[in-house]
Amino acid sequence: MASVNFGFGISKPRVIDIDRNNLRKSDEILLEMPELQTCIGCGSCTASCTAGNLTSFNFRKVHALVRRGEYAGAYEEMNKCMLCGKCRLLCPRGINTRGVVMLIKRKLGDF
Amino acid sequence: MRARKVVIIGGGVAGMQTALRLRALGEEPIIIEREAQLGGKVRNWYLLFPTFIPSADVVEPLMRAVKEQGIEVHLGCEVVQFDNHRVELADGERIDCDAVALCSGSTIFDARLKEEYGYGIYDNVYTSVDIERMMAEGRMPERSPRRVAILHCVGSRDEKVCQRHCSKVCCITGVKQAIELKKLYPKADVFNFYMDIRMFGPGYEELYHTAQRNYNVHFVRGRISEASPLMDGCIQIKAEDTLTGRPLRMSVDMLILLVGMRANDDNVRFAESAGLRLADSGFMRAADLFAGNVRSSREGIFYAGTITAPKSIGEVLNEGVVVADSIVDYLNKQEG
Amino acid sequence: MNFYAPFTLPFIIGTIILFIVLAWKYVSWFVALTHEDKRLVAKGVPSLATLRSVWEVVRESLLHVRIFRIDPRLGYMHMSLALGWFLLIAVGWIETMAYMGFAPVPLQGHVFFKYFAAQGVVTEHKPYFDFVMDLLLAFVLSGVALAWFKRFSSRSLGMRRATKHTTGDRLAMSFLWFIFPLRLVAESITVALYGGGSFLTGSCGSLLASIFGERLLSYAFEPAWWLYSIALGGFFVAMPFSRYMHIFTEIPLIFLRNYRLRPREEKGAIDYFEVQSCSRCGICIDPCQLQADLGIHDVQSVYFLRDRRYNMLKQSVANNCLMCGRCEAVCPVGINLNTLRLNSRALMRNIPNERRYGYFRDIDRSEGSGKVGYFAGCMTLLTPRTMSAMERIFEAVGDQVWWADRQGSVCCGRPLKLSGETDSAHKMMEFNRSLFHKHGITTLVTSCPICLKTFKEDYALEHIEVLHHSEYIERLIASGRLVLERGDVRYAYHDPCELGRGGGIYDAPRTVIEAVGELAEAEHNRRNALCCGSSLANTAITDGQQLKLASRVTDELEATGAATIVTSCPLCKKALQRTAKGGVRDLAEVVAEALPRK
Repeated sequence: MASVNFGFGISKPRVIDIDRNNLRKSDEILLEMPELQTCIGCGSCTASCTAGNLTSFNFRKVHALVRRGEYAGAYEEMNKCMLCGKCRLLCPRGINTRGVVMLIKRKLGDF
Repeated sequence: MRARKVVIIGGGVAGMQTALRLRALGEEPIIIEREAQLGGKVRNWYLLFPTFIPSADVVEPLMRAVKEQGIEVHLGCEVVQFDNHRVELADGERIDCDAVALCSGSTIFDARLKEEYGYGIYDNVYTSVDIERMMAEGRMPERSPRRVAILHCVGSRDEKVCQRHCSKVCCITGVKQAIELKKLYPKADVFNFYMDIRMFGPGYEELYHTAQRNYNVHFVRGRISEASPLMDGCIQIKAEDTLTGRPLRMSVDMLILLVGMRANDDNVRFAESAGLRLADSGFMRAADLFAGNVRSSREGIFYAGTITAPKSIGEVLNEGVVVADSIVDYLNKQEG
Repeated sequence: MNFYAPFTLPFIIGTIILFIVLAWKYVSWFVALTHEDKRLVAKGVPSLATLRSVWEVVRESLLHVRIFRIDPRLGYMHMSLALGWFLLIAVGWIETMAYMGFAPVPLQGHVFFKYFAAQGVVTEHKPYFDFVMDLLLAFVLSGVALAWFKRFSSRSLGMRRATKHTTGDRLAMSFLWFIFPLRLVAESITVALYGGGSFLTGSCGSLLASIFGERLLSYAFEPAWWLYSIALGGFFVAMPFSRYMHIFTEIPLIFLRNYRLRPREEKGAIDYFEVQSCSRCGICIDPCQLQADLGIHDVQSVYFLRDRRYNMLKQSVANNCLMCGRCEAVCPVGINLNTLRLNSRALMRNIPNERRYGYFRDIDRSEGSGKVGYFAGCMTLLTPRTMSAMERIFEAVGDQVWWADRQGSVCCGRPLKLSGETDSAHKMMEFNRSLFHKHGITTLVTSCPICLKTFKEDYALEHIEVLHHSEYIERLIASGRLVLERGDVRYAYHDPCELGRGGGIYDAPRTVIEAVGELAEAEHNRRNALCCGSSLANTAITDGQQLKLASRVTDELEATGAATIVTSCPLCKKALQRTAKGGVRDLAEVVAEALPRK
């Protein structure tokens, strides 16, 4: 399996153990941006992503992992985003995706 | 007992079914139809899901029966306003009546509003409605496309075009059209791009299964974000294959947009003139969603068909019967 | 004459504190100015800019001409307080001079002259001075009355909503409001007891005397002057810490601005002058659409500057702004509100990180070649109709075009800059700059005003002229290279913020529209135009709130009766399309449609 390319390596392929993961930050993020709960994972954001077009950045996957308490590497991934706003124009659930990027960077990084 | 007049606004399958049932119960229905012909949108469809019977098999018997029963029909007439006792037409005519059944249906979403899909810009981007017509008229391209992408939820479940609701029948239409395309072009690869597959009706899930197993139709879980032209005339689509978590790019010869149903613009005007209530989606709000499905919030005004929400043809036909019974029930109570 | 009385102490102490604080603030700010700014000041002082500044000080700090333009009543209120008080001090000083000759008189001697001169000899010009001073006092009092009135009913002074003030400001404001009524009382009592005065203090004095009698008034004489002095002293102590710091700060700011000092994308000492020049007049509140349409009442520029000044700025306030520039357009002090907000965001969010965006290396997805470069911008990739229209226009005039980003490329950097991540934004700018230079273009056309603004302001492109597509098309029409067929369709034009207020381009799109059809103007247009609500600068409002802002704009555009809305920004187009009943088109589309058919 080692040769399978999962797109990017922000998280080692292993069980997402909700019992062990610390969901405090994830809950904080959801508290500030409750609309994140409405994501249906359609992938529009990632499909149109200007940065995703050039790198392995996958906004949908990173924020989904963050919400499960998998924070490792999320900040570095979010730093690939150019904040261009295409995703916000496409999100069928009207999620403030740029706000989400900034929020995750603030909560998990040094802002 | 005298026959009571019921004006039916809209002469699609809902309106015709309502009229026929009312006539069978001894009442006097009058159909007002905006178009020059009865039949509504179903007339434009080719084969109907999930059994692939021609749409004419449903519409034509209804149209024939309406004629045979001598039901009064006003064609090419727009309703300006109405209440439960009077309907005013655009030509100034007023029809007095005892009850009104609003069966004016819904509107097909204008795919040009999702500009990023290139409908109306690139020649090989179609809507599901275009495909139905082209199939019916035998105008499908002769040369087999190499690859076809069918995109679900165009103008449905999308805050960005202010259409939050699910249009219900597009998923199964996508499956149906994929099978039709495979029958027409066995060598083509057909991909359905979906957010969720909603197979709610009898035989639908089975058809989905058939499409996968017997017709090798591919299903990709991801919404297409953009379509752009390529030098060779193909369309390049971008989506995320969310199950692998990676962006996906594909060149296709045809892109078919499964356009949803949205509320008629008329609804606002009708609601104002007759004192009716609208749902958030812009469709009419029924009295309640259980026993009052076909009743409005006003006495003597009833609903049937997609005026209240997207529905399949079978459901609409059932509602035609239910609404006629409800109307007669109401009229009897009024007199009794 | 002895110019000392115990009641003057509060005034003297207040004044000393005021001057110490002011001196400390100004000196530290001047010292902290960048080397470059100091050089500009040194160059500017001996130039005409100084004279211009003096004139501007008279016009804006005393007469408040800009506020007059917004609303004459509001202008009068500000003018009566500022000019009236200034003249009271100036004429009071002349009166003292006239009485004493050029003898040295301490400051309190001027200010409380009426007290000290009450029992002195009556000079021949005293009645004239009494009259002028009464007139000026009445002038100031009318302003105070209006200010009181405005607190209770701001609408009657042309403001729908007035500023919510902090406790400190309210305290300072109370002192200020009491200064002049107390002065009137003190002077009237003095006049009642010792004579003199004119129409105001004279008649007030006789009124007081008739009500309370001279005996009672003589007891009230000293306390009245005490209260006046306390009000003055209290105000002076509160002043440098409250919004009234603007009274003095605006003056050096006017000079510095005329010496071409401006706030920059990173925080600097010039910002202190700008921030503390805000009088919190609240004129910026009404034009704010977040306030008018969404009922958000704590993020407007007046509150942003206040929070920033007292170091209590939160990201939620700093980020909740469309940066549409409608407030900047009306600010009577001309504060660079957008730049200040930008550098506040930068202070909060900019982290220099060399490793970020390393993936830009070796990216080049551009197509074609030519002297004209076209940069669609990320957003335009979602409005392909604009792009295909541009393609048809390029074809029609036969320009060879280099397509920078039709297959996607690196963002222009402005979105990141708007969110405060300045250093990251510069990485994008450097990337695109070298890409443009590499392909040897001489003209860079973009249909996105967001990109346009950053290309013009941040890119410093050499030998490349940057044009918005509206300007490019306007030129093609003017030079006769592009011939269009004029129809009779009416188009309502929506000014994008970044193009209009942000880039000063109002006429080019209008000229182009008039070449293809009839132009209809919305109620708010040009400098006053509304924002579509989807501005990239705001990362705080929700989708529903954006929609609400957009629907207000489309309502207004549709009220013109025009069948089609035209704009020249992909973001505005997408935003307005959501709520428009008719069509929303980009300028390029209507132009491409007017091309003669082959």
